[in-house]
Amino acid sequence: MNTLKKILLAGAAAFAAAFLIAWSTPYWYVPRLEAEVDFADRELIARGRYLAHAGDCAACHTAPGGKPFAGGLGMQTPLGTIYSTNITPDKDSGIGHYSYADFERAVRRGLRPDGVHLYPAMPYPSYVIVEDEDIQALYAYFMSEVAAVSKANQPSTIPWPLNMRWPLGWWQLAYARPRSFEPDPEHDASVRRGAYLVEGLAHCGACHTPRGIGFQETALRDDASGRFLSGSVLEGWYAKNLRGEDRGLSTWSADEIVNFLKTGRTARSAAFGSMADVIAHSTRHLHDGDLRAIADYLKQLPPRKGREARWTPREDTTTAALRAGDYAARGALQYVEHCALCHRLDGRGAPRIFPALADNSIVFAEDPSSLIQVTLAGGSMPRTPHDRMAFTMPGFAHLADRELADLLTFIRNGWGNHASGVSVRDIHQMRREIAHKPTHYAPEAQQ
Amino acid sequence: MKTLPSVLIAAGALLGLSMLAWSQSGAPADPAAGTPQSFALLDPDNQVVGRYSIPPDSDILRHANAEEILYGKRLLNETARLLPDNVGGGLNCNSCHLSQGKTDHGANYFNTINSYPKVMPRAAAMVDMAGRVNGCFMRSMNGKPLPVDSAEMRAIIAYFTWLREDVPKALRVDTPSEGKIDTSLVPDPVRGKALYAAQCATCHGDDGEGMKDQFGDYIFPPLWGDESFNIGAGMARTYKAAAFVFYNMPMGVNHKLPIGQGGALTQQEAVDVAEYFTHMPRPDFAPKGNDWPKGNKPKDARY
Repeated sequence: MNTLKKILLAGAAAFAAAFLIAWSTPYWYVPRLEAEVDFADRELIARGRYLAHAGDCAACHTAPGGKPFAGGLGMQTPLGTIYSTNITPDKDSGIGHYSYADFERAVRRGLRPDGVHLYPAMPYPSYVIVEDEDIQALYAYFMSEVAAVSKANQPSTIPWPLNMRWPLGWWQLAYARPRSFEPDPEHDASVRRGAYLVEGLAHCGACHTPRGIGFQETALRDDASGRFLSGSVLEGWYAKNLRGEDRGLSTWSADEIVNFLKTGRTARSAAFGSMADVIAHSTRHLHDGDLRAIADYLKQLPPRKGREARWTPREDTTTAALRAGDYAARGALQYVEHCALCHRLDGRGAPRIFPALADNSIVFAEDPSSLIQVTLAGGSMPRTPHDRMAFTMPGFAHLADRELADLLTFIRNGWGNHASGVSVRDIHQMRREIAHKPTHYAPEAQQ
Repeated sequence: MKTLPSVLIAAGALLGLSMLAWSQSGAPADPAAGTPQSFALLDPDNQVVGRYSIPPDSDILRHANAEEILYGKRLLNETARLLPDNVGGGLNCNSCHLSQGKTDHGANYFNTINSYPKVMPRAAAMVDMAGRVNGCFMRSMNGKPLPVDSAEMRAIIAYFTWLREDVPKALRVDTPSEGKIDTSLVPDPVRGKALYAAQCATCHGDDGEGMKDQFGDYIFPPLWGDESFNIGAGMARTYKAAAFVFYNMPMGVNHKLPIGQGGALTQQEAVDVAEYFTHMPRPDFAPKGNDWPKGNKPKDARY
């Protein structure tokens, strides 16, 4: 036997072992947990409905224009588009045939009953800490109250062989280990409840925590690294830094956070993009106590080293200049032309109607992605029962890259704001990102 | 045995290729990038003879009288604050002439300079540009006329002249300053009141009082009361107001440029809500007796 043959044989053996280990995880890594769940228990079902809101299941499993939980929402990955699945209790195309153990393994461990590993677009690395009784309530709700919809799942557009699922078994071994919620004994009851929701069902980290080389969240709970909820970009939206530090939530009070999650806006800001969906599908349904718990938990997330100080604005020279008709600053003329009607010369907008640009943390965030995307593509506040009207900003994609770059640099540094500039290249890249947004799949809407 | 490494290599290549494809492929950035809104240009026989593109404000800077045009822009935007002796209420010219008079169906200024002087039915006489501007000062802004040779009047006219660009006087930009509304619709102010509460009051206030900023300047203009337009204003007339509301209100509710305006009400609803707010208490217009001296008074005239 020559060396080459030996190497090839060894490689083949290693590959076979790798395949077998990943393929077999359902048999040794993810136990089946059976439980009796009473579908006649109205209270349990009601709790399941509430928890489904908390878990924001609808945001992904309901496509725009589609039926509740019938799947079909496209999600962009570097390799192609994957589609959320039908989680209605339809026996053939949904989860109607799932036993409790099947359901539990899918939600907490990312495993389908046929042993196929789920993409981590399903936030099972977060859901794994959800307690048994909550999973049972969710199961009761989905199986007994959600209307069954017959709709086949849409295959992903990821090409073979990259669409093989067994390597996800290794991903799960590396990044989705079994664990349970560990309350911090130093925390009061509200902060503990907030931690349970934020780290678990609400899966805030799925967007707000930076991802690593394997697309894994670099922290699944607050730890010494300080990465948990420190801000990340997904589909061109910057899910902002939520830590208690300078450009994080240092400028937000707990009351404002509660108000924002409940109503989609505060006196100076408004949700748009993906967060508007989160509020519309999830947080607006949560009890005040749970929203307070989330706010209390977020407000106590410690700052990273060197970032302890509250963000403070510089002296505002913009308002006086614009009111005096001094449009000499780069971008100022365009601001008065396109933005000032709503956001005003003083950058304060109109409370709960048009968001302020002064002292608004998404405007001076480390990463300008959300600001760029909302300017190009527009955005809408979520509609909630709290306010009579919800407002929309049109997109300004018809403006030239140079104009937009000047405009956004002006806004990020106006009225006492101070932040990095926005370049023509940033605008160009975001245009490309927007052009690549996946289309959703909701054929049952046409039936 | 040799197939496995080749599969791995192929997989790697495919991965690389698909990532490359993702980064390179797809639609060009945006076909609309840098393209301003534009409209057909019509000759007196309504034949299309060209296009008019709304000029960006940066275009002002290449004109010799840029300073005057920018002053005009400012006066139109912030009339109440900058000309307190001439504005009786709290309104600005651009409270109605939305987004600096650059809004399709939103009392735009595209054809303004080319339309005057003309015979206005209300005056039954030739009205020139300055006369028309002063009509607004006395009625919509419930104030006093500007001296026709003042720097302020010249600046306002300079802005209109700039916005026209090089469109010859005989041609017309094909977008109406006011949209059409069915004047046979019968208004119902009771329905109008309910609509006002749901669709208007958030910004214009439950009592039509508008909303002010930290300096006391209006963010949203008052729709009735002492600070609002007087009964001599076009906006005080049901169907004129209804047309404005139908095409432009509320603002910030959809993706229509420039300000996400209109499209929320039916024509009937616009007529109902217009009837409601136009007929709320507002200042009188003392020289009202001079209007429509030769008759032909429209049916929604207030006097």
